[in-house]
Amino acid sequence: MAQNARSHKASKVVERMGKKLNRQMVGSLVGCVHCGMCAESCHYVLANPDDPTYAPAYKADQIRKIFKRNFDWTGKIFPWWVHAQDVRTDEDLEKLKDIVFGKCTNCRRCSLNCPMGVDFATINRMARGLLVSVGVMPEGVAVVSKDQWEVGNQMGVLPQDYLETIEWLSDELENEFKDTAARIPIDKMDADVVYAINPREVKYDPRTISDAARIFYLAGENWTMPSEGWDMTNFGLFSGDDELGGAVVQRVYEKVIELRGKRLVLSECGHGYRSTRCEGPNWSGTGVPPFVIESSVLTMLRYIKEGRIRVDKEKNRAAVTFHDSCNNARSCGFYEEPRELLNLLVTDFREMYPNRAENFCCTGGGGAMSMSEYTPQRLKSAIIKADQLKATGVKVVVTSCHNCVDGLTDVIRHYKLGMKVTQLVNLTANALVIPEKVVVPVEALISVVTLPLQGFKILVVDDEPDILTFLAAVLEDQGATVIQAADGEQALALTIQEKPDLVTLDLSMPGKNGGYVFEEIRNNPEIASTKVCIITGKPELRRLIYERPVAPPEGYLDKPVNEETLLTNIRMILELKRPHGHA
Amino acid sequence: MLNELRVNEKIIRLMVGFITDIQNMDGIVYYARPDLTLGAGFGTAISTQGGPKVQEELKKTGSANITDVVVTGGGNLQAKYILHAVGPRFQEEDSEEKLEATTLNVLRKAEEHKLQKIVFPAMGAGFYGIPLEVSARVTLGVAREFLEKAVEPKEVVFCLRDSRELKVFQENLQKMK
Ligand code: SF4
Ligand code: SF4
Repeated sequence: MAQNARSHKASKVVERMGKKLNRQMVGSLVGCVHCGMCAESCHYVLANPDDPTYAPAYKADQIRKIFKRNFDWTGKIFPWWVHAQDVRTDEDLEKLKDIVFGKCTNCRRCSLNCPMGVDFATINRMARGLLVSVGVMPEGVAVVSKDQWEVGNQMGVLPQDYLETIEWLSDELENEFKDTAARIPIDKMDADVVYAINPREVKYDPRTISDAARIFYLAGENWTMPSEGWDMTNFGLFSGDDELGGAVVQRVYEKVIELRGKRLVLSECGHGYRSTRCEGPNWSGTGVPPFVIESSVLTMLRYIKEGRIRVDKEKNRAAVTFHDSCNNARSCGFYEEPRELLNLLVTDFREMYPNRAENFCCTGGGGAMSMSEYTPQRLKSAIIKADQLKATGVKVVVTSCHNCVDGLTDVIRHYKLGMKVTQLVNLTANALVIPEKVVVPVEALISVVTLPLQGFKILVVDDEPDILTFLAAVLEDQGATVIQAADGEQALALTIQEKPDLVTLDLSMPGKNGGYVFEEIRNNPEIASTKVCIITGKPELRRLIYERPVAPPEGYLDKPVNEETLLTNIRMILELKRPHGHA
Repeated sequence: MLNELRVNEKIIRLMVGFITDIQNMDGIVYYARPDLTLGAGFGTAISTQGGPKVQEELKKTGSANITDVVVTGGGNLQAKYILHAVGPRFQEEDSEEKLEATTLNVLRKAEEHKLQKIVFPAMGAGFYGIPLEVSARVTLGVAREFLEKAVEPKEVVFCLRDSRELKVFQENLQKMK
């Protein structure tokens, strides 16, 4: 009877739950004795002490009761006794969605203290997967999943855009070293290193790719980047969709095999590392692949130890702290090697507490950055991280995870901590001692001094006069013709009237905000192909990247933005022949 | 493994690639949402490479029901037409029958518009959760039956995203030989 009363979606959820139950899952579902020890581990609980619905055991109970009602004999016979309760309606599923996606980042910190060995994040991930299978998920999760399924990477970077970006970075590199060998090889056969990355690097942080390329070049590595299967991140880990997890991993593995690569090196990304190296073989059912998989942290460390590159830590004199990504540290035990490398790269490293496997989540884990509907509660819970960061007394946080870079950047901005986030690859590249043979002669340097933005018209939009002045000055210095707008209405009017090549757009402005302006630009066929680089101090407006009814912006920069990052990104956007500019 | 099947003078072809980059197609099939918003995935490719015209055209239609197919121009894409096929999603009831009807509607529209060559993705597989095996069996089966009688299209291509998809389509095509 109960079965009949269920909605179609609810019955599919229950049906699939039955198929997902393995020993580990059942252990976590039946093991809880409600001792409450896990509560103090969770940043959501610590930031919301009066709200019991954030307690890991409470959240787990919302999933557990469905299990008990349908699969556990006590619950089937005496539901009232063991608090078994069925999931019946689509509204029940929506409520469950808000818990499993909105109140947990799957950071696994609560499992550290559980005397019964309950791993709540595993149950939570299963529940996410069940909901996703019936289409119940935050819009951002749908967008990112679909991009990774169909386009082949989480950010919807089209094949042509990826290849053009790498080509552009290669040109830059060749120019920098005045050496035709200083390029990023694509699909080179029999390479010793196949380097796979996070799509965020292509789209919004190209410097991390060129920093890695500098290191490979100077180490004399026989390396390549693949033309397909280059995204080593895996949204299946976050959405709970094992099939997506398996498909993504298989694409990465197969490409390395096709290229006869000897070693797959993963750029710094915690969930990508866990997915590709640890969970991948299970999801894909392909078994352990016939090549070595390692984090680029290990690769860089090896180059230094073997003397293939030389670094000078005096080049990184600022005091830094290190944030362990949950997936690296807690789930994969990967925390000593990044410290070993860091100590070779900086003069002043100070631990944050707690650290290693006990570190707090950046609060943007588990795909949380893509779920804008939960941003306020995410940022509220981030007070724990903010306090932890503040207590270090330093201004630079190093992390070995792209997702944490975004998560920490949001926390830092929201709590006005005035800190900067960077990665080991950036510090390594910065500390490189360039050997004589590749030192660029002075004449060569002079000959390349041209104005790279000459001939481009750029509209800068921001309601803060200081920022407008800064942007205009930097871009004009590089030869661009700059026009300025201080609000949304003016921005739209000038975009139509002046037809700039690029608009840099602040999002939070009085009147017509930047999000509105962006969508208007994209929806107006006359100006839809204008390139747009969002420059924002409002992390919650990330939805423009993750939930978009229109084509995404070409660039997205977080405030405060420095001159170097601004110029690299603006030049990349303008110089690439992206389809937008050629309507 | 088999990558082609001749049906009278017509052909069904399998390949791995990126659907909006395939040259010389008259129509490409997009697995659309009922609200006809292009959204993510291949929708990103269509809105980015095709320009805003495609979404503009869709706005005029508004929305559609499952199994409906809405035809728009291809904007700046290589293909002249896009066939927006609103297929079943996320384990909804009678998914298989609905997928069959959707595929048939695509082919009818192609015939109506006299399209010689059209290209399908792995319909509903992946994000929308239609099992790959079902997607391959149903869509290949409908295509074959349709090509036996129809004048157009002359060529039906299935552009798959990776070897995992290709393998299942090849196996199903082999069975139809
Ligand atoms: S996994 Fe992390 S966020 Fe989720 S309940 Fe446990 S401690 Fe809290
Ligand atoms: S620590 Fe373990 S047993 Fe105790 S309430 Fe939390 S999950 Fe349950």
